[in-house]
Amino acid sequence: MSHQLGEEIVRLEGVVKRFGDFTALNGVDVSIREREVVVIIGPSGSGKSTLLRTINQLERHDEGRIVVDGTELTDDARTLTKIRTETGMVFQSFNLFPHLTVLRNITLAPQKVRHMPQREAEDLARGLLERVGIPEQAEKFPGQLSGGQQQRVAIARALAMNPKVMMFDEPTSALDPEMINEVLRAMEELSESGMTMICVTHEMGFARNVADRVIFMDEGEIVEMGTAEQFFNNPRHRRTKLFLDQILTH
Amino acid sequence: MTGQIPVQMSIARGLRWSRENLFNSRGNSLLTISALLVAAVLGFVVLRFVLFDANWGLVAINRKLFFVGSYPADEAYRIWIVVFFGAALASLTYGVWVGHLRPYLLTIGIVAVIILTFGLGLEFDIQDFEFTNTIESGGQTTVVTGIDRQLIQSGGWAPGWLYALSFGLAVPYGETWLLLAGVFAVLAGAAFVGRELARWRESPILRQAFGAAWVLLIPLVVVLQIGISTLHWESVLLDFLVFAIGGIFSFVIGLFLALGRFSPYRAIRIASVGYIETVRAAPLLVWLLFATFLQDELGPIGAAFSSIDLVFRVMFVFAFFGGAYIAEVVRGGLQSIPRGQFEAADAIGLNATQMYAFIILPQAIKAVIPAIIGRFIALWKDTALLAAISLVNTLEKAKKVLAGQSDIAEGAFFEVYLIVALIYWVVSYLLSRLGSAAESRLGETPRQTR
Repeated sequence: MSHQLGEEIVRLEGVVKRFGDFTALNGVDVSIREREVVVIIGPSGSGKSTLLRTINQLERHDEGRIVVDGTELTDDARTLTKIRTETGMVFQSFNLFPHLTVLRNITLAPQKVRHMPQREAEDLARGLLERVGIPEQAEKFPGQLSGGQQQRVAIARALAMNPKVMMFDEPTSALDPEMINEVLRAMEELSESGMTMICVTHEMGFARNVADRVIFMDEGEIVEMGTAEQFFNNPRHRRTKLFLDQILTH
Repeated sequence: MTGQIPVQMSIARGLRWSRENLFNSRGNSLLTISALLVAAVLGFVVLRFVLFDANWGLVAINRKLFFVGSYPADEAYRIWIVVFFGAALASLTYGVWVGHLRPYLLTIGIVAVIILTFGLGLEFDIQDFEFTNTIESGGQTTVVTGIDRQLIQSGGWAPGWLYALSFGLAVPYGETWLLLAGVFAVLAGAAFVGRELARWRESPILRQAFGAAWVLLIPLVVVLQIGISTLHWESVLLDFLVFAIGGIFSFVIGLFLALGRFSPYRAIRIASVGYIETVRAAPLLVWLLFATFLQDELGPIGAAFSSIDLVFRVMFVFAFFGGAYIAEVVRGGLQSIPRGQFEAADAIGLNATQMYAFIILPQAIKAVIPAIIGRFIALWKDTALLAAISLVNTLEKAKKVLAGQSDIAEGAFFEVYLIVALIYWVVSYLLSRLGSAAESRLGETPRQTR
């Protein structure tokens, strides 16, 4: 919230994504700067997740340009690997690798993609587990952890590649209520360390307190964006007001 | 640990269990009692035959034929080398990756005691039953030689399964008994060493060494056959080699075909599906006949293929036929992997090869181990078909023994086929144990939570 924003790191220009007849993204323009925390909200089916997933090319966009850290995204395999190692992704359903220990979940990518020696990768992983508050779970398997712990492992796994941008796709939606806070705390800490973050979430408290900017999406378009204060206290657009009324009244 | 519960307690528990589960209603009690009666009668009939009525002489005398056929006795050391290497490697692997040594060692101990004590009594040969009579009549001396039928039938005391288990005695070379004792010692010892090595099981060096040793076993089997015509590969030796080598390659082929069905390239997908649907659509026997009788009908490729030794052609057919089935099994496993696993692997920057090698295949294969083991058991029993293309498999050898020595063992059909069935059973059972071990080893990791 109160950190100095840096250079532009992610830029989308007229991005369109279609699934058959359905247009998930209908000409999205957005620019995100280093150390910025952006929260994307909107009703389901509005294209929030798709937007995130085009940035690391889990979904290929049909039209427009996406530039991440100066590299324009193309089909080229080398570009793809570069982008994916520079962006970390945390999923709603964690997607940890159930057959690997927590430690191996985190060390796999640094070892295989970055060719980091095992010892070094393990030190890195233990440091990250410390950072998300579960250093004692290193030797367990994901299935032995609570949802909140699993999601924190997922954050550590994404951080292990030392990404420039971290993306969160509804990271607390699959969690029991009592576990939501531990994950949000880890995310908040991350933002304080100056990480660039793009979060799709329904946690309005998080958006209000942590976001530099809130983006409201509907029907594949960005309807409104602004600082958290502006957004929650003075929404300009009718659709935004309607949405906020719906989610804030209960 | 159930093993540490006092006996009285476990008996009481057993009684309570059976009261709750087997005798909890009138109908259930009736069912339990009638099932027990049927089992008792069947067991009695079979045991009476095996222990008292059967004539095991024919099996006893021909035990070498049942196991290694006409393999030259002087070269039997080669088989022993493979057996020793295989036993050491299997036990080491078991020690490192499964660990629970107590039941394993107990089983080995029991088998060893039975075979080594009774085995001594099994070391007789057909010469022991030959007799020579000198008949003198009218100043002329005639020497009559023959086989003492009476003696052989009285030699039928040993239960047939002992012969089936005493593979070692059936591959005579030097002090067979000592060699066999050595195999059991290696089995037990290697398991202990394996357990000590287990602490390094995450180390890549150990994994690579094990991988290399297992891979080495394949050429070792073949190299040991050099200079011995495959005409001498018969019986269990033939069946096992065809199954083992065909099976290993069928797994590799199956893996690639299954991955091929998910390839981003349409041509590879079509080729994989085409292969699977074509190969599965004809019986194995038909493919075996093609492999046997193909000459130059398919041009130079066919000619080149037909110039390969028949046994190797058969191994090829087993690999290529088995592969089509394994592919479908593995495909089922691949389809059971949630999409999130692919996405997570993509998101951390793994390339396609790394994604399949480290994330997707380990989970997919684990999910379908029971089905894969089922395919292997089927493939093992399919070796019975080799008789149809004039290779002398166990079944064919049994028939030949019965036909050739009908003078000494009329009507011993049941005994002989019982042994053949037992041989199939032993390998099938070991395979199913292997499957359970692999599952329990991989089962440490709880399944996907979502």
